[in-house]
Amino acid sequence: MKACIKKELTEQLRTGRLTILGILFTLFGIMNPAVAKLTPWILSTMADSMAESGMSITVSDPTALDSWTQFFKNIPMALIAFVLIECAIFTREYQSGTLILSLTKGLKRYKVVVSKALMLAMLWSACYWLCYGITYMYNAYYWDNSVAKDIEFAALSWWIFGLFVTDLIPLFSAMVSSGAAVLGGVGAVVFAMTIASTAPKAAKYLPTHLMDGTSLIYRKSVPCDFEEAFIITAAASIVCIILAVPVFNRKQL
Amino acid sequence: MLKITDLHKRFGDKEVLKGLDLYVPEHSIFGFIGKNGAGKTTTMKTVLGLIRANAGDITVAGESVVYGQTATNRFIGYLPDVPEFYPFMNAREYLLFCGEITGMEKKEREKRADELLELVGLSGERHRVKGFSRGMKQRLGIAQALFNRPRLLICDEPTSALDPVGRKEILDILLAVRNQTTVLFSTHILSDVERICTDIAFIDGGKTRMSGKLADIRNSYRRDEYVFETETAQAAGKIAAAFCAAARAGDTSLTFSEKDINVYALMRFAADNEIPVVKLERIEPTLESLFMEVTGE
Repeated sequence: MKACIKKELTEQLRTGRLTILGILFTLFGIMNPAVAKLTPWILSTMADSMAESGMSITVSDPTALDSWTQFFKNIPMALIAFVLIECAIFTREYQSGTLILSLTKGLKRYKVVVSKALMLAMLWSACYWLCYGITYMYNAYYWDNSVAKDIEFAALSWWIFGLFVTDLIPLFSAMVSSGAAVLGGVGAVVFAMTIASTAPKAAKYLPTHLMDGTSLIYRKSVPCDFEEAFIITAAASIVCIILAVPVFNRKQL
Repeated sequence: MLKITDLHKRFGDKEVLKGLDLYVPEHSIFGFIGKNGAGKTTTMKTVLGLIRANAGDITVAGESVVYGQTATNRFIGYLPDVPEFYPFMNAREYLLFCGEITGMEKKEREKRADELLELVGLSGERHRVKGFSRGMKQRLGIAQALFNRPRLLICDEPTSALDPVGRKEILDILLAVRNQTTVLFSTHILSDVERICTDIAFIDGGKTRMSGKLADIRNSYRRDEYVFETETAQAAGKIAAAFCAAARAGDTSLTFSEKDINVYALMRFAADNEIPVVKLERIEPTLESLFMEVTGE
C-alpha cells in the first residue's frame, strides 16, 4: 500500500498536476479577499459616469463577510477544476495498460482503489485548506473574521462535500473505462442532487446542502440545520469507496 | 507448469476460443504460434485472470486460475505485447516499485533490480521511461516480468514490433533465462521459434491444431526426402540415369525419397564414378510448411 501511495504522489509531482493544483487553489484563495476589497473601489470609479445617467450608487466598506461570500461562490469552480484535472487518475492506467503489469504481479486490486482514493482525498484536503487558509489570513489582516459566524463549521461542511465528490471518482472509474465517462458520472450525480434539492423537504438531507456556507456566516442558519446532510454526506463518501472495491474487482481490464 | 483444458471464450457472438488445450512442461521454451486473431492474446490473458473464460480449466503449477483476484499470478511473470510503464519513472525506479508491491525487502529489491537491469542491458540508463524506444521498453518489460523470479514467464509477441537487432536481443534474453523459468511466448514469426523453442503449439480457429516437442513434431512430419547437389549438369545427368527414381530439381541438383533410393548406394555410386558432391542433405520440414499444413492453407 505504501508503494502505491508513494507512486501516486510521485506521479502527481512529476507530471506537474500537484503544481497546477497548488497554483490554482492559491489563486482562488487570493481572489476572494481581492474581489471583496476591489469591488467597492471599482464601483466608486464607475459611480460618476453612472450618476450622469441618473443612477446613484452607495458604496459601503467591505468586510470579511464579503470575502467569505466570494469564497463560497468561487470554491465550486475550484472543485470543478480539481475533478477535471484528476478524473482520469484510474482511466489513464486502463488505457495505457500500466495497471495490468502491477496486478499480474499479485498487487491486490483493493489496494489500487484505496491508494488512489486516499491520494484524491489528501490532494483535495491540502488544496482546499490551502485556499481557505489564504483567504482566512488576508481577511484577518484587512478585516475581522469574527463577523463571519461559524465560518469554521461552514468551511468544514464544504470540505466534506468536496470529499464526497472526489470519492465519486473511484466509484465511477470502477464502472466505466474513460475519463470523460467518469466526469459525466460525477457531473450527473451532482446535477441530480441539485435538482432534487429544489424539493424543500429533501434539501436538508442532501450533500448539496453543505454548500450553503453563506447562510451560516450570515446567521440565517445554525450548524444544527446541517447535521443530517453532514452525516449523510460523510457516510456516502465512505460507501462510495466501499462500493468501488467489489465493482473494481470484477472489472475486465 | 501450465495446463489448459477445453478453454472456451466468446466476445459477443464471436467465438474466439473453441475448446483450446495446451500443456506447457516445466523448463521449456514454449512457442505459441498462430495467425493474428487466432486467440493467442485471449488465451494468455485468461491464464492471467484478466479475462473470464466461458468454460474450461486452467491450472498453473497445479493451482486453478481464478478470474479477478488471481492468486496463481504469484507464479507468473507477464510481458504484454506493447508494455507500458509509468512514464514519469526511470527503469530502476520502476523495477523497485515492482519489488515493493510484491512485498520484497528493500535490500533484496535493490539487488534484484540491478541484476535484471544488467541482464537486459539497461543498467546505465538514467532517463525516464517517457523517452524509451520500443526495444528498450520490451527489455524493461522482460526485466519487470522476471522480477519476482516467476516459475512461468508469459510473453505476448515479444519480438513482433522490433527490428532484427532488437529481436535478437530479446531472443537471447529469453534463452538466457531458460534455466530459471519456463517461458511461454506467442508469436507469428516462425524463425524466432526455430531459433529458441523446445516445444510448440499451433493454434488456429480457437483450437490447438498441433503441439509437442519441436524435435518430435519435426520427426513425425519428416518425409525422408533428400536433396543431392553436384557441380555440373553432366554429373547430375549421370546420377539421374543410374537412379531413375530421382527427380531433377535444377541443372545440378536432384531430389529423391529414401524409400525409392538407398542413400548409401547413391553415395557409393558417386564415389565410384568420382562425381563431385556439393551437398547431400535430408530435407527438414520447415515450420512454415507445417503451419500451412495444419491450418489447411
